[in-house]
Amino acid sequence: MYQYDTLDRQMLADRSAEFRSQVARRLSGEITEDQFKSLRLMNGLYLQLHAYMLRVAIPYGSLNPTQLRKLAWIGRTYDKGYGHFTTRTNLQFHWIKLRDTPDILDHLASVDMHAIQTSGNCIRNVTADPYAGATAEEVDDPRVWAEALRQWSTFHPEFSFLPRKFKFAVTASPKDRTAARVHDIGLVLKRARDGALGFEVIVGGGMGRTPYVGPTIREFLPVNRLMSYVEAILRVYNRHGRRDNLYKARIKILVAALGKDEFARQVEAEWAKIGDSVDLPDTELARIRGAFARTGFETLPPVSDAFETAKAATPAFARFARNNLKPHKKLGYTIVEISLKGIGDTPGDATSEQMEVVADLAERYGQGDIRVTHEQNLVLPHVKLDDARAVWAALAEAGIATPNINLVSDIIACPGLDYCALANARAIPIAQHIAEKFRDQDRAERIGELKIKISGCINACGHHHVGHIGILGVDKKGEEFYQLTLGGSGAEDASVGAMLGPALPYDRVADAVDTLVEVYLRERQDGERFLDTFRRTGVAPFKEAVYAEAH
Amino acid sequence: MPKLIELKDGVAKGVEDPFTNLADDQDLAEGDVIVSLARFQADGERLLSEGRRVGVRLQAGEQVEALVYDLPRLAVVALEFPKYRDGRAYTNGRLLRDRFHFRGEVRAVGEVLREQAGFMVRVGFNTFEPADDASANEWQAAVHRYRHVYQRAADGRIPVFGERAFAERGA
Amino acid sequence: MKALTANRLTDGEVVFWKAGHWVERFANAQLWTDDDPAAIETEGQGKAQATVVIDVYLIDLVESEGLWAPLSYRERIRALGPTNHPHHGKQAEGGAVIEALQHAHGAARSTGRVNLIKRK
Repeated sequence: MYQYDTLDRQMLADRSAEFRSQVARRLSGEITEDQFKSLRLMNGLYLQLHAYMLRVAIPYGSLNPTQLRKLAWIGRTYDKGYGHFTTRTNLQFHWIKLRDTPDILDHLASVDMHAIQTSGNCIRNVTADPYAGATAEEVDDPRVWAEALRQWSTFHPEFSFLPRKFKFAVTASPKDRTAARVHDIGLVLKRARDGALGFEVIVGGGMGRTPYVGPTIREFLPVNRLMSYVEAILRVYNRHGRRDNLYKARIKILVAALGKDEFARQVEAEWAKIGDSVDLPDTELARIRGAFARTGFETLPPVSDAFETAKAATPAFARFARNNLKPHKKLGYTIVEISLKGIGDTPGDATSEQMEVVADLAERYGQGDIRVTHEQNLVLPHVKLDDARAVWAALAEAGIATPNINLVSDIIACPGLDYCALANARAIPIAQHIAEKFRDQDRAERIGELKIKISGCINACGHHHVGHIGILGVDKKGEEFYQLTLGGSGAEDASVGAMLGPALPYDRVADAVDTLVEVYLRERQDGERFLDTFRRTGVAPFKEAVYAEAH
Repeated sequence: MPKLIELKDGVAKGVEDPFTNLADDQDLAEGDVIVSLARFQADGERLLSEGRRVGVRLQAGEQVEALVYDLPRLAVVALEFPKYRDGRAYTNGRLLRDRFHFRGEVRAVGEVLREQAGFMVRVGFNTFEPADDASANEWQAAVHRYRHVYQRAADGRIPVFGERAFAERGA
Repeated sequence: MKALTANRLTDGEVVFWKAGHWVERFANAQLWTDDDPAAIETEGQGKAQATVVIDVYLIDLVESEGLWAPLSYRERIRALGPTNHPHHGKQAEGGAVIEALQHAHGAARSTGRVNLIKRK
């Protein structure tokens, strides 16, 4: 993993000191709330319904055990003993006091963490494939490029006051676990026939009020030209992105207005003028790459007797293995996904005790490596098959061994109206009701991959547009209502969901989802996922079933 | 007269502003003037021929490319921040220095707050009209708040990757 | 009826106006009739306390079984705490008023601030 050096640490110390002085100026009345709001937002500090919320950056979702333990400690000391992992792979504390935040930043800095650029109209936390360095599918380690982007974008003097927020995702696998096509910039690493590494550059995807699947503006960008090319994109956006209307300010609106070809032409013209003066030197890239090189793997047999025996002896473990273990590039190893979607729990929440259990397991069995996924789960990317049963047992004891990865109860939900000042409706209780409906794990497995994503308002923090079933909370004449969409996907086959029909009241949503699933089970053909069936049949049979019941 | 802060050799100092900032409908003043792009395009030749120093004030939506051929004759380019959150002037500043090699004064005007000082200096601004009554000392502290920078910009500062390479060679 | 609410600057706690100071319980909030000009005056007074509270605004109330409750669902959640964690927030204290708020009838609007302040 990447290790901060003295220079990185001094940056954090300077940031922490700056924010401490800003808080002091606000508390003394030297600056107004209006002025302070932009400053606190640049540090991920929001005012929500019940308290302040602090969003801590987890660059490309990568944590070490010391960091996770510190997050647990902060949760216990300054919050109510838990934290909430987000779709940006960050961690939010929901019960923070303004007067504590300078100290919290110092504690974060002590483990090389911060809240820099977790809010504001700047380049936000860069996300990457949570299986980076562990999956055999990838052509390169995307973390190398995510880290390079982290450094380049941190306090970028030209691009810290963009028209609107700006999000990067980097992946290097054909199977996209980062939702790259619905990001402001999605970078997909590819290898050319001659072996050269490059990026497919996707620009102008996004969700929110106007969802778009981003077009590819360059099929192959040589990797060593990344910085100058993204600088060209950001410059075109900074100059021409709309600033007159908050809802039309994202880069997706600019790309759609100009058209993909004209946007690409402007970027290429700007890129030609920039030249290679801002590209990272190969020595720095090599230094970053070196930080991610992993040498701790043992040579193991392809089959683990201990693992096979445990599966045969313990059906619950076998179920966990089926759903939560993913293939690793090294023989005898596995990727362990830890679901933060316990039935009836709040999606993405982890208690301080659970964080400590995961930190201990990572240290003992997982080479000290922990990842956060944009689907609000955790990953131990490097676990020996021999140790999988012990890991499972410890997770089960901590209440985080729910065997539901990618299944119907593995639901993304934003905090919604229970916490968020922007929300129109609650998201969490809807997720809880649906999960309860599908508590039967046999049935959940029969249903197979099904991604439900719930947002409490049109800003789409819960990614509802790209849910196989998307659920959007709306305010209809003062009541909580929910619009359902079908057929969205945030993966390599990205698409925006289609509206099912009129919005449903709060207490009918879980039943409607149940009905949708029944239609799928009835209609599906060999091996089809929910998404595949929907794409084949269209919305009609689903619509008919859900609204037939309403009459 | 607005209070002007000048940054020279890393030191921020309060200075008297020798320029008169002329609105488009304002009668021409004696001496050095800063005018809008529209007024410069209409009267620039005359103003320059009178032997005075001339500056141009660009709104956030105007682009420095419009001045490229006049830059060698201009003493000041003033870049407007209509709102603190409007970041277009950063690109104008950077291009003035990096691409068009402008050596004159680049001035920040509008909603200019000390929180932006570090960013402004990095893209090439060297004079400032703070809207928050920041003193030269406060400006100085804001400019030098960060001991390191992560990326190349117009100020020529060596980014952390350069510092690392240097440390390695030294070791 | 109306009440005046805000979040306390130093810790973000939801507070309500009561006779010249801010209290944490909705049960203790001062209430004004809809046409009482004192409500607007007090809102101005509250907004002037910029180093004490932020986002000061009046909320509409509705009568439910003899008690007053915030009209909007959002404001009920502010007065109680999040519905997914029944032990977090003000609802943890319990008591008759909390109980009543939790089961309040009347058109709960999800928005409903009198002077809507968009904020992040």
